[in-house]
Amino acid sequence: MKMQRMSSSWLIGMIAASVLAASAALADVPLVYATIEPAQISMGESARYTITNLGNESESIALPVVAGLDFQLIRRSRQFEFVNGIALPSVSIVVRVTPQMAGIFSIPGITPKSPPLVLQVNAERAAGSYFGPRIAGPPVKPPILTGATMPNGIHLTEDGSAYVRLSVPKREVYVGESVPVEIDVGMRSGFVSSLNGLPKLTSDDFTLNNLSRSPERRERILAGERFVLFTWHSDLAVVKPGVFTLSAEVPLTVRVRTQPRKDSLLDDEFGDPFLRNFFGPTAPKDINAASPAVELTVLALPTEGRPADFHGAVGRFEIASDISPAAAEAGEPLTLRMHVTGSGNFDRVDTAMLDHVDHWKTYPPKSSFNPSETDSHKGEKTFEQPLIALKPGKQIIPALTFSYFDPIARRYETARSAPLGVTIAPSLADSALTAQQVSAGSAAPESAYTAGFRPDHVVVGRLASSLIPLYLQPRFLAIPSILALAFAGAWMSTGRRHRDRKMPVRSRRVSKAANRMLAQMEDAARSGDPARFFSWARAAMQQNLAARWRLAPDQVTSAEVDARIGDEDQDIPLLFTLADEAKYSGHALHATDFARWTQIVRRQLLAEKATP
Amino acid sequence: MDADCAPAAVGGKGDAVITRAQLAALIIALALAGCQARAEPAEIGYSAAGLYNLANSYARAGKPGMAVLNYERASLLAPNDSDIDANLRHVRDSLRLASEPRSWFDRAVRVASPVVLSWMGVVGLSLLGVSLLAGRMVSRHRLIRLAAALVGIALVGVTVCNGIVLWPKLHEGVVITGATAVRVSPVPMGDALFVLPEAETVSMVAEHESFVLVRTRAGRTGWVSRANLAAVVAAKSDPGSP
Repeated sequence: MKMQRMSSSWLIGMIAASVLAASAALADVPLVYATIEPAQISMGESARYTITNLGNESESIALPVVAGLDFQLIRRSRQFEFVNGIALPSVSIVVRVTPQMAGIFSIPGITPKSPPLVLQVNAERAAGSYFGPRIAGPPVKPPILTGATMPNGIHLTEDGSAYVRLSVPKREVYVGESVPVEIDVGMRSGFVSSLNGLPKLTSDDFTLNNLSRSPERRERILAGERFVLFTWHSDLAVVKPGVFTLSAEVPLTVRVRTQPRKDSLLDDEFGDPFLRNFFGPTAPKDINAASPAVELTVLALPTEGRPADFHGAVGRFEIASDISPAAAEAGEPLTLRMHVTGSGNFDRVDTAMLDHVDHWKTYPPKSSFNPSETDSHKGEKTFEQPLIALKPGKQIIPALTFSYFDPIARRYETARSAPLGVTIAPSLADSALTAQQVSAGSAAPESAYTAGFRPDHVVVGRLASSLIPLYLQPRFLAIPSILALAFAGAWMSTGRRHRDRKMPVRSRRVSKAANRMLAQMEDAARSGDPARFFSWARAAMQQNLAARWRLAPDQVTSAEVDARIGDEDQDIPLLFTLADEAKYSGHALHATDFARWTQIVRRQLLAEKATP
Repeated sequence: MDADCAPAAVGGKGDAVITRAQLAALIIALALAGCQARAEPAEIGYSAAGLYNLANSYARAGKPGMAVLNYERASLLAPNDSDIDANLRHVRDSLRLASEPRSWFDRAVRVASPVVLSWMGVVGLSLLGVSLLAGRMVSRHRLIRLAAALVGIALVGVTVCNGIVLWPKLHEGVVITGATAVRVSPVPMGDALFVLPEAETVSMVAEHESFVLVRTRAGRTGWVSRANLAAVVAAKSDPGSP
């Protein structure tokens, strides 16, 4: 019993260790991977595409879909696979891959992180193939040296796997000129895994424009070796003068054999990377394949004879123009078109077309370019300019011009179009037709609008010079303005006289009060009452001075009188002093004094009346 | 005569003399201004009946835009002409365009043509001014003066209200071509926001070169080529002016 328990413990421990070891092994290897053998076949042959799953067996794996390749499931098998010395259960799916056309096919990775596989399918059985029974002819492949220079200026990469060639048709170009170039990338069969990007120039002094997105593809035999050739077409542009070297490069991934020291003898014997590839394990390597450098002389555009409307177009161009519609009403927009055709740097082809034309309103043009299907630096650029005729009648649109530099003739040229005629009818809104003219001009029967119409008026009536209401017309506005000014002036004038006329009334009221006070003074004098006499005398003077100084009578005090009159007239301050004395000390006055002070007060009052 | 009263008597005579002179000058000025207004050259003129007949002709010729334009112009000169209103509404209804009924205020202040209302305003202003001046100079006939002032205020008020009512119409335009594109910017290649039907009436908000910024009754705005639009009250140099 005890032995059985120990055996069980041992067994569990073994299983746990196996699981742990398997986990460690799995951490280093992908759970699902795919291989294809061979990587190069000919039409009529098939390749074996094997998918190995080290992980979950129940996980469904979809077969890839590649245009031109037919995938057919052959079998599904289970076995143990040794990874890092540990046996792991795995499921293998074997698929037959049959090409339907020749070419280089990229089979997508079986998982998102898996690298794609490349299958090259030759049109016919490759001569010199190393696959034994499938090869009919004897191997006649001549060797190619690494980094060799071959005919047509082709220079292989260091590992002999590919070449890049830049074809420039001329060695002397002008600034701004668009030069068509070809970039050939030849990839030796079985050596290049993938093309990792588009070609680019190694120099910053040049730019590649209009690089074709999908290159032309064809096969080529060089020195007896099969190359797949990709060709891009582009336009080369340069922005500054000088002498420059130019080269194109392409990023590639090639297969290189990891060389064990023991295989070096074999390499030396064959001297061919393809053999290395065949006889030993390979590894991918990213390289930049570059073309041999080309020297290019860039000339500046001459300043002499440069037209004013030159915008930098270099090439050979022709222009034509048209306008639509050919007949329109005044104020209606028309479209003037200028067609520039030819070859050159169309990105610099520009024109203002018509700027100022009498009796026309012009707008800035807009352009569109329609390149040639075969050559991107050829095509037609069309400028469309809206125009509005301001005047009716037969109008002539002036000839259009376009200036460019011809690099072949090495001079500036100006292309001209023919003048265009257009008929402009008066605008409907611009015509001042009478009812009779409108009726006469319209041969059509009564329209749908006039059914149930009220008839025309017989009496035309009086004519108005404007539709603007009379009260808003400046000339008429003069009348109410003058009226208003006249009334305002009269109002102000009558206002002043109104005040003047009221003044005597006030004076009369003051005179009545003064007379009443003088009467009181005389009464007090007759009764010999100095206090009452001077009290009335001071009151009379207070009234008088208050009116003169525009003060309240109470504010006219002795101090105020001293301050305002001072030494000018000593009688009034003295009168105020005597009034105080008579009131508080009973000061006695003679009859002559009463008469004298009465006369002084009367004189003051009369003097005030005489003042305007 | 009291000495105190003497200056007042002299002043009263002076006032009377000056007032008569002022009134005489005022009357002369008014007469001159009136003569000047009447002496304006007739030039090429508008008449309500002529515009109405022209609008009828355009309508018969199948040009509803120009018809509505001339009805609107005729309506300015003869606001209470029922024939103009009827035919204008008829054309609008035929095109299924909305016709706004006139409010009571609009009818009240457009009781007469702008020409008549203009002179009514002048008369009202004169009545008001004279009554105020008379109140300063004469204390009698107070009720008459008050009534004259009120009538004057009323006449001036009607004229001012007429101006307020007509002001938006003076800045309206009529679409005279079919399917007129209203653009986002004042250039021919500007994107079209919407399309206006012929004979639609819009408010003209601003102008830029050969384009007019318009606002529809629905409140939408955009730029319309001047060739597609005619102002109801056009300047001499503008399209549509005779």
